[in-house]
Amino acid sequence: MNPLLRLDDLRVTYGRVVAVKSVTLEVNEGQAVCLVGPNGAGKSSTLLAVMGAVRSRGDVLLRGTSTRGLRPEALAHLGVAMVPEGRHLFQTMSVQDNLSLGTLARRQGKRARIDERWVTELFPIIGQFASRRAGLLSGGQQQQVAIARALLSDPDLILLDEPSLGLSPVAVDAVFEVLERIRGVGVAILLVEQRAQRAIRFCERSYVLSDGEIRLEVTGGAVEDPQAVVEAYFGR
Amino acid sequence: MSWVSDLVNAISLGVVYGLVAVSVGLVFGVLRQVNLAQGEVIALGAYSLWMTRGLPVAASIAICCVVCVAMSLAIQVAIFRPLRGASALTTLIVTFGLSYALEAVWLIAFGPNGEPVSMLSSLNSVVLGGSIALRWITLVEIGASGLFFTGLVLILYRSKIGMMMRATAEDFQTARLVGVRIDRVVTWAFVFGGLSAALVAVLVTVQSPLVTPSFGFNLIVIGLVGVVLGGIDRLGRATAGGFVVGFVNSLLGAVVPEQQLVFLPMLTFLFVIVILVLRPAGLFTPRGSIVERV
Amino acid sequence: MRPRLRLVAELAGPLSLVVVVAVAGSAMSIAQQGNAINVLVTATIVVALYVFIGNSGVWSFGQISFVAVGAFAAGLLTSPTATRQTSMPTLFKFLATTQISNTESLVLAAGLGAVFSFLAGLVLMRLSGLSAGIATFAVLEITYDVLTYWDKIGPGATTLALVPVTTSMTVGAVGCGIAIVVAFAYQHTRSCRLLRASREDPVAAQGLGISVFRHRLVAFTISGGLAGFAGALFVHELGSISTGQVYIDLTFATLAMLVVGGAGSLWGAVLGGMGLGVVDAFLSNAENGVAFGSVNVTLPNGMRVVILGVLMVVVLIIAPKGVTGSREFLERFLSKRPGRAGAGNKPGGSLAGGASVADDGSQAVPSPSRTQS
Ligand SMILES: Nc1ncnc2c1ncn2[C@@H]1O[C@H](COP(=O)(O)OP(=O)(O)OP(=O)(O)O)[C@@H](O)[C@H]1O
Ligand SMILES: [Mg+2]
Repeated sequence: MNPLLRLDDLRVTYGRVVAVKSVTLEVNEGQAVCLVGPNGAGKSSTLLAVMGAVRSRGDVLLRGTSTRGLRPEALAHLGVAMVPEGRHLFQTMSVQDNLSLGTLARRQGKRARIDERWVTELFPIIGQFASRRAGLLSGGQQQQVAIARALLSDPDLILLDEPSLGLSPVAVDAVFEVLERIRGVGVAILLVEQRAQRAIRFCERSYVLSDGEIRLEVTGGAVEDPQAVVEAYFGR
Repeated sequence: MSWVSDLVNAISLGVVYGLVAVSVGLVFGVLRQVNLAQGEVIALGAYSLWMTRGLPVAASIAICCVVCVAMSLAIQVAIFRPLRGASALTTLIVTFGLSYALEAVWLIAFGPNGEPVSMLSSLNSVVLGGSIALRWITLVEIGASGLFFTGLVLILYRSKIGMMMRATAEDFQTARLVGVRIDRVVTWAFVFGGLSAALVAVLVTVQSPLVTPSFGFNLIVIGLVGVVLGGIDRLGRATAGGFVVGFVNSLLGAVVPEQQLVFLPMLTFLFVIVILVLRPAGLFTPRGSIVERV
Repeated sequence: MRPRLRLVAELAGPLSLVVVVAVAGSAMSIAQQGNAINVLVTATIVVALYVFIGNSGVWSFGQISFVAVGAFAAGLLTSPTATRQTSMPTLFKFLATTQISNTESLVLAAGLGAVFSFLAGLVLMRLSGLSAGIATFAVLEITYDVLTYWDKIGPGATTLALVPVTTSMTVGAVGCGIAIVVAFAYQHTRSCRLLRASREDPVAAQGLGISVFRHRLVAFTISGGLAGFAGALFVHELGSISTGQVYIDLTFATLAMLVVGGAGSLWGAVLGGMGLGVVDAFLSNAENGVAFGSVNVTLPNGMRVVILGVLMVVVLIIAPKGVTGSREFLERFLSKRPGRAGAGNKPGGSLAGGASVADDGSQAVPSPSRTQS
């Protein structure tokens, strides 16, 4: 059985800047995997490369098939959704319009796991503020709409780039509860987080990324050797 | 009472430049690039009206629309696809070159003296005589453009493709991430741009029937000036800018004494510079709003 | 040693091109000599454009205004006063009676160009990007309108004739050489280096306390002065002038030359001006009929512009930095690491740089540059 997603020696450069040197990792169906690491480690670049939103070398395999040359919109229609860093809602459009755009990439003829009901139940605020301009919502509310928008495409895999960024501790708890629900319906998660401990505990498998390279792989969510994580994080 | 007709005339010229602005603004919205060659689309549309002068008016107009859309799409494929990601200025320079080349092509194909399009000349007859001199065409211009603008707004705000266009205009990258097929959106922007060019071609040739090689360039230059004046990064503001330039130009033309009329371009362009310096982000862009400087 | 060699090459390259055109031109028939002089004068205008556009990265569609002012001032004041009073009775008194020598007229034209561009620049240099493009175009329109219809300052809509023809091959070559030397000297001043640095990232430059406005204004003024000077050479080459000759057509042709050569380097400007100038001359000959062996080929009127336009478009799409890559003469071979040419004293220039990131204002926020395809 092929993994849902496999990155094979992925490398991302911006001109002379090497953002990702070499990343090899796997995400299985329905599994949560996280990527932690210091600022500038190349986490966002890795996610963007998965979406085909930045040029990369190496290979990205989705269900065993290479996605070489596919564009972000094609990836979206293949069941990969992304919540980008900084949310990126369409600020001048209503919450409802933002959510409708999320449904563009729904695949026909597939039994739906996630529909509008499910999402509205998960995030009551989107019912409440449906006609409000997205730009007028608070940061936390915007994050919820951004996740809802990504979920509405009913993806097999959701990429989340720092969903807890700038949220209060209570809101962070809420985010992880939402992630739990998402995993519960069988959607695989590739999560990028600054809150390393929490993310590692949540995920079946975790990778510590530093300087564009995987320094440590942790499976099972149990951090047996916290010192090793810290070293992978900061040390050489 | 002549101020009534001056005002109506000014409005009618305003909406024509509003249409020109739409055809520039739509493309700019989704691509952040300038298409000066849209003027040559208008010119070809006008020449097509001349070439089909033997046909019934409706057929002639239909052909004009097809020609404009086809040419608009050809420009997209030949120029804008290879230049994807280039800056607004780069595309401005490229399409400036293209316009110039095309203008010379019209010169070779149709000669320097211009071709008269007398298709709907009956519309030049007077609605009301006496002190208020109004021609039918002025009313048709206002009506037809009004319909076009209404239709466009409905499409943008009520249809799926419109929603995708608005999303793309606001955030190109995120639109792709949620699965908006950008190429289709861009294609539609060029289609609508072509249609508004066709409408401009029809309206302007009724009003002033002589189609010369520089027919389109003159229109697009003023139109682009309006777009930049109004605020290029929002379609509504860009259109309003086009309207204002046409309106002011027409009104100045009515106010300035006959012998001084030759200095009208000077006045118009002085006005342009003043506005650009005072409000670099555009006349209708609220002060203090963060805009991308292009 | 290397840097000095590079400096020498940077100046010697363009100058030798001038000599080549002048010498080759002199060896040809009278008609072709006229074309060669025209190539030299046009290249002077392109160099004037380069001084502002190339160094600041701001596209101006207005530099031909300064050429026009220089041309009309120099032409008017050197034409015979007697004919001036009969053919232009509405002229201001001092314009009708003042007579200056041809050399004086060159200096005057340069000065007027500089003053006019300085004044315009005071207003315009705060703008950048598209607004600057439109505003400079507005200057061209205003200048054209005023020169064409205000008959107190010139011939108005009629042609100014009987201007002494003094731009010989030598004068053309020397004039073009002077412009090149000025451009060269200017691009090694501190002001110009700062301007070039600011072109890459105006916001950062401003943050470092660089007054982009001031340095742009300097470039604009020098460019205007050179343009005025070139205008005087132009009018003394033709012997007559009308406003249509210094308007959009010339703007288009000279911009095309700059773009095709490579807007970011002096070598690009000169090569583009001379190269396309020669092509242009050949094409206008062909429009009047040219013999290929026994076949006589006549291009339709306007073909010249079509070819120039298509060349401009194609070059910008394939090689956005022009045929020279916006590098100076031999820069690639004389810099220490050939692969990094342009990393040295000259910011390689993303001028008109097709898909380059720095060119795309929207990348100011540090988000990953996304592939657009
Ligand atoms: N558009 C870009 N152009 C040039 N360099 C970039 C670009 N985007 C990112 N980089 C560089 O690539 C490296 C990795 O960036 P990336 O955004 O992937 O890191 P990250 O791990 O997501 O960091 P953070 O935790 O701060 O979000 C950094 O050194 C960054 O400066
Ligand atoms: Mg990041």
